[in-house]
Amino acid sequence: MDIVKKHHRVALSMRRLQPIVLVAMLSVVLCACGYAFFYLKHDPLLTDLGQRLQGMSPQHPLGTDHLGRDTFTRLLLGGQQTLGYSLLALGTALLLGIPFGLLAGYRRGWVDRIFVRISNGFLAFPDTIVAIVLSGLLGAGIGNLVMAIVIVKWVNYARLVRSIVLGEAEKDYIRIARTNGLPSGTIMRRHLLPHVIGHVLVMASLDLGKIILLISSFSYIGLGTQPPLPEWGAMLNDARPYFQSRPELMLFPGIAIVITVLLANMLGDMLRDRFDVKKDDWSREVPS
Amino acid sequence: MLELNKLTIRSRESVLVEEVSLSVGAGEWMALVGESGSGKSLLSQSISGLLPTGVGASGSIRWNDQELMTLPARQLRKLRGKEIAYIFQDYQGAFTPFRTIAQHMDEYQQVHGEKNRQQRRERSQQALESMSLSVELLNRYPFQLSGGQLQRAAIALALLLSPRLVIADEATTALDSVSGHRILELLRQKQQETGCAILFITHDWRHVRRYADRIAVMKEGKVVESGNRHRVLDHPRHPYTRQLIAAAPMLERPEPTLRSGLEPLHALEGQSQ
Repeated sequence: MDIVKKHHRVALSMRRLQPIVLVAMLSVVLCACGYAFFYLKHDPLLTDLGQRLQGMSPQHPLGTDHLGRDTFTRLLLGGQQTLGYSLLALGTALLLGIPFGLLAGYRRGWVDRIFVRISNGFLAFPDTIVAIVLSGLLGAGIGNLVMAIVIVKWVNYARLVRSIVLGEAEKDYIRIARTNGLPSGTIMRRHLLPHVIGHVLVMASLDLGKIILLISSFSYIGLGTQPPLPEWGAMLNDARPYFQSRPELMLFPGIAIVITVLLANMLGDMLRDRFDVKKDDWSREVPS
Repeated sequence: MLELNKLTIRSRESVLVEEVSLSVGAGEWMALVGESGSGKSLLSQSISGLLPTGVGASGSIRWNDQELMTLPARQLRKLRGKEIAYIFQDYQGAFTPFRTIAQHMDEYQQVHGEKNRQQRRERSQQALESMSLSVELLNRYPFQLSGGQLQRAAIALALLLSPRLVIADEATTALDSVSGHRILELLRQKQQETGCAILFITHDWRHVRRYADRIAVMKEGKVVESGNRHRVLDHPRHPYTRQLIAAAPMLERPEPTLRSGLEPLHALEGQSQ
């Protein structure tokens, strides 16, 4: 009995610690990338053919790439690019999707009908295919890639928000808010939006990992960040020809992607558990 | 004050309310009686333009000198809550769960043009006090209130801006008869204070008997009979009204009985009812 209790207590403290650890690790990644804004020991864009393909050294902690650029510096700057553009794409998709979903769900009528047609159209194709076609059409470049991702992703958020709002708008407190003469804008902003935010946050954090992967893989095939700017996916691609002699050149950006995506997904899972009211929360109490 | 003239409400398939004409005078307690599905609630919703989607109304609704049917949505919205307020059956879900009572009341006054924050606060407090609720409830969330408190708070919210017409749509249906009467007493008291009119929608004859000034009886989307309380209750003209009155459960004054308690006196004397 005692051992069960002890085990439970350990599991409990692990559960309590998990979010802290997770947030701390994410902050480390973000801070490291943010730090590159202020100070870089080496110019990440300066080619120095005399220094190419160096191993690890005090001078270059992670070595140099095929053009003699410091890998560590490029990794940090690449993180800025990858994470920055992922967050930009995610944020824009949210800014578009939430209001549209609120409007379609609350107003119904023609706004809703048009929206449903559009979203059904998007649903018919996998995200990645649409993104490839779009960025192919718009042309290579990170700006166009972000735009393509936003176009693909906003529909998902709008759909989610719409479905929640459809359910909520039928409830009495919304009806009463309307009979009390509150304007639609106020009702959507103050009485419906807070309902939606939790769900949207969960979906967004789960999506962050996917978007990071999308941006990296598009840069890998040359549709994203253009050289000489570093980006984790692009760095992978740059290192490809030297995989035999210098495998670590591919390893470092690869690990960076894996860690960041994992952290983002874990954060998403954690948020989902937090907001999931149906799951009974055994972590709250220790059984006596 | 409120005058419905040949109001017809129809959905795509059927006519739900047919050519209803009805009027509510200032300070009057008007009861609209009828069985479920007779179109009472639709009628009340149409007054402030809140019909569900897919349902349309035609005819005329006059509010003082305005024609509500043709009034722009923005002006109609300003009328709602300020001049025409609603009280509904379900008070449990009357408040947005994550906003305090004070936030509701504050917001409500704000959208109807009260700019002074202090004044809004004072008015909210008065509204709660007049419903004999403690001012402390202002900073509570809806789930922290008991059912009775919630309902009184909901009524306080509806009466906050002293509307001239209160539409009580089955306001007491979900309550036991004691709390139902308590609520209606409060409403009557409020009515005497502010002189507002009440359109009281119900299928409960007990309340109608006790409070209504005038009665309209609805059946299958039509008003079959309307008139003063005594006229309708004591001399019903339409067979449906008679049927309704006969069907209503009523507690008669206990009849004088013999000591044995077995039979009423007049039965022995050969009187029949």
